Amino acid sequence: MGDAGLRLGVAICAVLAAVALLLQVVRTRSFGTRPPMAEAQGSALRGILYAFGPGMAPSAKESTRTHPVVYALGVGYHLGIFTAFGVLVWSMRDAAAGSALPPAPVRQVALVLTALGMIGGISLLVRRARGPLLRAISIPDDYLANLLTTAFIALAGLRLLAGSLERALLVGAMLLLLYIPLGKIRHCLFFFPARWNLGRHYGRRGTFPLRH
Amino acid sequence: MADNETLDAKIEALTAEELARGLDIFRQKLGAAGALWLQTCVHCGLCAESCHYFLTDHEPQSIPAHKLEQVASAFRGRYTLVGRLAPALTGARPFDRDLVRAWVDAAFGRCSTCGRCSLNCTTGVNVPAVMRAARATLTEMGLIPADLQQVVTTALETGNNMAITREDWLDTVQWIEEETQGAVNDPAARIPVDKHGANILFTVNPREPKFFPLGMQASATVFYAAGEDWTVASEGWDLTNYGLFSGNNAEGGAIARNLLDSMDRLGCRTLVIGECGHGFASARWEAAEWLRERPGFRIISFLELMEDYFRQGRLKVDPSRLTDRVTLHDPCNTVRQGGISEPQRSILRRCVTDFVEMTPNRAENFCCGGGGGQLAMAQYRDRRLQAGGVKAEQIRATGARVVVAPCHNCIDQLMELNREYKLGVVIKTVAEIVADALVLPTITPPAGEDHDVTS
Repeated sequence: MGDAGLRLGVAICAVLAAVALLLQVVRTRSFGTRPPMAEAQGSALRGILYAFGPGMAPSAKESTRTHPVVYALGVGYHLGIFTAFGVLVWSMRDAAAGSALPPAPVRQVALVLTALGMIGGISLLVRRARGPLLRAISIPDDYLANLLTTAFIALAGLRLLAGSLERALLVGAMLLLLYIPLGKIRHCLFFFPARWNLGRHYGRRGTFPLRH
Repeated sequence: MADNETLDAKIEALTAEELARGLDIFRQKLGAAGALWLQTCVHCGLCAESCHYFLTDHEPQSIPAHKLEQVASAFRGRYTLVGRLAPALTGARPFDRDLVRAWVDAAFGRCSTCGRCSLNCTTGVNVPAVMRAARATLTEMGLIPADLQQVVTTALETGNNMAITREDWLDTVQWIEEETQGAVNDPAARIPVDKHGANILFTVNPREPKFFPLGMQASATVFYAAGEDWTVASEGWDLTNYGLFSGNNAEGGAIARNLLDSMDRLGCRTLVIGECGHGFASARWEAAEWLRERPGFRIISFLELMEDYFRQGRLKVDPSRLTDRVTLHDPCNTVRQGGISEPQRSILRRCVTDFVEMTPNRAENFCCGGGGGQLAMAQYRDRRLQAGGVKAEQIRATGARVVVAPCHNCIDQLMELNREYKLGVVIKTVAEIVADALVLPTITPPAGEDHDVTS
């Protein structure tokens, strides 16, 4: 398969992943939705804004306040993921124009971010594999999802570093995209309605925004 | 036969059809939001230390993500394509007897549905909502601990969860009225019963007339001092609702209906829920959902009402009467799930000289361990007391001599923790603190009338 074929394959996988994810979210509605009846005490909107805003800050939750390193690793991991997808899009977008890599300053920043992503991904994987408690709550999907994602970040980083490996990045992207709707990475979409619902729930009750 | 043995026997006797039906029930109970939450957990494990069970037993089964996973694994096995095709990869499991046991243990035995893990969840999973759906499923399958269901059944059959007869209730009200008259030195002080058109219908936890009449007397004293137009109902006066804990919305709705019917019958303007966390959450938040109707009147907590009295200048207090250090317990269903965190603080700052907060506090406070119906489930008693160790240490760290808890379930648990952990504290309701601090006008009896106000 040529580069163009691989790029088309990535695009198809991306569409498949998006459609599968959307279908899964839409399907949850079949479990039944009922508008809340109790008169609100607080504001659902304020709760939702808090859930996606200040409530995401590391200081907002005890779980992240007391585990700043894990929080930082998680942030680094996700920055790496977003950067890797940026590299992928750039590679696909500008390949025809002969400029499949971003300009040097952007590339350097992207390299740092993918390095952070790899550190985050590998560290979290080791943490999961070595910690007996975390192991106890883990399923195979937790490991495979991390491996695929970290490998994708690594391929993006190597692509930035070496200027080659485009095919490997595209193949890695296809594998990752196909896997997204199958396992925990689906939280890339589920996160938003789940947190929306939590924010609405606690916002209506006046619990969100939290008072400290 | 012990309750857990009975439950185990019931689980052993489950047929394949009953197990299949169990997941059908779960589907009905879960709702769209629940289905989203179940599929959003990433097993990061950061919720572990938010749970008082895990903090005291350090067992992986007590990590909220693990409890959630028991439920999610059955969900995946039935309701997701990849769960059916690749169960090993996704951790999908058939809803078999072993998993049913795990559900009972997770939902009833290791979770007080306090919601602290949800506030600490990195993705935003509402764990108690999912656990309640699991409880509801088990309850409908007949797999609820019998003593928990008994509380619900008693409330349905007798109108209150302690089977207090109407006669006993009215006798107790009359007795507390007489005590209140003595306490306020005014023979005109009343606890009106079934007063039509009263501004306030006040509801109580049956524990008060049964075991803690001083709590009810304190509430009556506050109403007296505020000059409130209030009443209690001769029927439909119990604010508790263990349907919240069993997960049975129909039964929860039927119990809540008692209060709504009292309001309709008496034509009162505001339904005031006495100091009881789950009672408040049930009446204020859940009843409308269970019954699918919005009450045509206000439902507020007694804490909010007392704060209003202070704001309106209707209560005068002398804080110097209580100089011991006082701390405040935040009941999960009043604060985290109920949204009422500040009135009780505002009141205590007016009524005592040395108020200190627990750390953490408000919505971040720890469950005392008695929530979620745990006090009613004897088989989990040891776990409950162990889990309460977090609260005990919170209290000890404040150096307080008095712990105020605006919730009777919490008070019961705190009293046990007080003994178990040798805390040496006194536990009171907010109303008791207010009543003790009240400066009441001096009532001079009419000439020639002889009152024995001390009896």
